[in-house]
Amino acid sequence: MGSWLDYTINGLIIGNIYALVAVGLALIFGVSNLINFAQGSVYAVGAYIGWTCFTYLHTPLAVTALIVVVACAGLGVAIERIGLRPLAGAARIAPLLATIGISLVLDQLLQIVFTPDPRALTSPLPNWRISVGGGTIGALDLLIAATGIVSAAVLYGFLRFTKLGWAVRATAQDRDAARQMGVNTDAVNMTVFAIASALGGLSGLLVGMYFNHIDPAMGFQATLKGVVAQVIGGMGNVPGAIFGSLLLGLTESYGVAIFGSSYRNLFSFALLLLILVLRPNGLFASARSTPPEPMTGSFVTPNRPVRVPRWAIVAAVVIAAAVPLIPAIPYVLQVLTNAWLFAMLAISLTLVAGTLGQISLGHASLLLIGAYASALFALDSHWPVWASIPAAGIVTALLGTALIAPSFRLRSHYVSIATLGIGEIVGLVILNWESLTRGPMGVTNIPPLQVGNIELDNPRAAYWITLGILVLLAMMQTRLLRSHLGRIFRAIRDDDVAARAHGISLGRYKAIAFAFGGFAAGISGGIAAHQYSYINNETFTSTVSISALTMVILGGMGNVLGAILGAVALTALPEMFRGTAEYRMLIYGVALLLLVRFRPQGILGTT
Amino acid sequence: MTALLVLKGIDTFYGPVQVHFGLGMEVRQGQIVCLLGGNASGKSTTMKIILGLLRPRAGSIFFEAHDLAALSTPQIIRAGIGSVPEARRLFSAMTVRENLLMGAFARSDRAEIARDLERMLELFPRVRQRLTSRAGTLSGGEQQMVAMARALMGRPKLICMDEPTMGLSPLFVDRVLELIQAVNKEGVTIFMVEQNASLALAIAHYAYVLQAGRIILQGEAKDLARDPRIRAAYLGGETEPAA
Ligand SMILES: Nc1ncnc2c1ncn2[C@@H]1O[C@H](COP(=O)(O)OP(=O)(O)OP(=O)(O)O)[C@@H](O)[C@H]1O
Ligand SMILES: [Mg+2]
Repeated sequence: MGSWLDYTINGLIIGNIYALVAVGLALIFGVSNLINFAQGSVYAVGAYIGWTCFTYLHTPLAVTALIVVVACAGLGVAIERIGLRPLAGAARIAPLLATIGISLVLDQLLQIVFTPDPRALTSPLPNWRISVGGGTIGALDLLIAATGIVSAAVLYGFLRFTKLGWAVRATAQDRDAARQMGVNTDAVNMTVFAIASALGGLSGLLVGMYFNHIDPAMGFQATLKGVVAQVIGGMGNVPGAIFGSLLLGLTESYGVAIFGSSYRNLFSFALLLLILVLRPNGLFASARSTPPEPMTGSFVTPNRPVRVPRWAIVAAVVIAAAVPLIPAIPYVLQVLTNAWLFAMLAISLTLVAGTLGQISLGHASLLLIGAYASALFALDSHWPVWASIPAAGIVTALLGTALIAPSFRLRSHYVSIATLGIGEIVGLVILNWESLTRGPMGVTNIPPLQVGNIELDNPRAAYWITLGILVLLAMMQTRLLRSHLGRIFRAIRDDDVAARAHGISLGRYKAIAFAFGGFAAGISGGIAAHQYSYINNETFTSTVSISALTMVILGGMGNVLGAILGAVALTALPEMFRGTAEYRMLIYGVALLLLVRFRPQGILGTT
Repeated sequence: MTALLVLKGIDTFYGPVQVHFGLGMEVRQGQIVCLLGGNASGKSTTMKIILGLLRPRAGSIFFEAHDLAALSTPQIIRAGIGSVPEARRLFSAMTVRENLLMGAFARSDRAEIARDLERMLELFPRVRQRLTSRAGTLSGGEQQMVAMARALMGRPKLICMDEPTMGLSPLFVDRVLELIQAVNKEGVTIFMVEQNASLALAIAHYAYVLQAGRIILQGEAKDLARDPRIRAAYLGGETEPAA
């Protein structure tokens, strides 16, 4: 490729592919105010069904596409029926968490069935290209463009001229009023999921052919791109989603043309944040008002937390501290040390998501910031490790808060999207800012934990240090929650409008909570860097963010002790059963689904 | 005259908060029956439980031979109940025409639907001029007309209206009340919720007074209009509430 025309064509083609994903997301958001995080997974499933058809059944493209569409529509119906409908009446964020769980399960199943290795999905189309102006167009380009246009036309006809289409539109505008006209809104939900999943699967098939590459993890990025496109066009706005997708495709393509391909995603997420901050209702909304958000409040179901007596906590700490004295295998200590590090992240997230009610989906980026800060202080500024780790905590607190601060006026779903975007951006900046971070090479030879001249390079010392810091952080947070500040955080979570009406400055208190959470997470990342001795931009990914969220929900949102318990349960237990390592995300996904459905208050209850 | 809709011993809750306490009521075939009550007395909640949008914890609701507790909202609509919700709740991004046709969603007799649409436009001439406008751009009074026409498009035996005169100018209020009477004369039973007792009693046959989730008074509309307790509570006079 070289000419601008090529980049434009490429941008439009990619935009078309995004549109197939984004339109489905918009339909679902319109009808049920839900961001379907499983959309990308269905897209990946579509790609793999296509691969299977080509490889084993040798079906022609048209038949393959038909199989993909039908199978994915069926999958969509199953997701709605089994995963989401039972949650009607639950907290509004519950279905969102359920779609995350479903997505983890589907992604991992693909990995188990097809192995994590990428595969080639070769397009059966003839390989000619015609020159147009200074660029070229191939058969597949035309097919993708045609698929986009035909799908849009069929969808338009459906919404405009069929009875079910009218029902979909009416439900999107006013669900209760639609039911009072005799619309079966359950059937509408199912229809919308079927359409969205069919389009998503088709998109996956086309993408796979376009890049001649599929892998089981491809879904997550697709969901993200779809969400970005939707935010650009306005959540729930179907034509807006198409426009947003094309704009996103072009932005990325030109960005790649100017700066190189590692910048592709950075451009999408920068665009996302820009829109969220400047025009949260999308480009078509006139006002700079905050988005209409029917989903206030949070996941925290009102209930009484389990009271754990003081002596039990003390005893647990003593036992935990005594573990290294037993001549256990170092492996156990390593696993538990890792659990303590995760627990720091979890108490950080439980403060932000549980106590303050801001469901962050990008918390792992705080670990990255902390890890890089401490590693670079130690290596480039030659600071001793005992200084670089606390400094990393402070840097993370400041930087993390500064990054999220422009999005403070956003609420619920939009907070989740913003944090997701910020999380991706942090990783991408680290990848691209080579002069500071060494780029894709990562940082090597990070010095081990040490105090003064004493190297704490053995598992026992690392264990004790980590446990000690965790206990300290947990105690600090418990005190914080009992203080006036803690009450204000909860007031903001329960009713931010009322809190503001009482003169509480939301921004300031959100900043305090994020800073406190950032500090704990930064410390955790810092310690991890010195333990791993090597880090790169993929050391902590969005998977870690989702894992942390699962831990927090398992323990009980806002519950410090619960967060630690959740972290230990979800880090240590899968390790104990050795063979389960490859099923880990499957376990997380199923745990998330079961929790949301049967025990939303978690083990120890919400506070 | 037979009872079309019968509510017995209804207890309704929002979470831990009880709204109805043993509510009982009858709506007779062919009548205009009115439920009066102040703010937060549980009037709209009564609508919700009739329409199946909310389920009472105790009690029974029968519409003709249908046990409404066993039916979903769409099934209740199909059984012959039409709804004019509180604050109209039109589909604001759809055109007026589309809104009216949504009212006939539960029907499939296309030719009859087209005839009914024409009939509605005769009954509500103002609506005709705005047929292709988005419903959200209509004035409050016009929206009320559309909401009523939309409910009628379902050919219901019973229409439930939640505060049909709310927020309308006096001229429009009179017009809406006339229309309700006209609709009733065509054989449609009307159950309406109102705060404005004098207006409601002027057109109703029978009325119930709801206070804090209990029926505290009921009777023929013309008797209630003269009742001193009603006069005190709703028609001016002392501010002391009835009961
Ligand atoms: N969705 C809800 N959740 C919790 N409480 C509710 C809900 N809807 C209504 N309530 C409460 O139930 C009580 C009765 O409400 P309802 O809407 O039935 O009153 P109403 O008589 O229609 O009042 P108005 O004249 O103001 O419309 C009120 O105290 C109200 O606050
Ligand atoms: Mg009301």
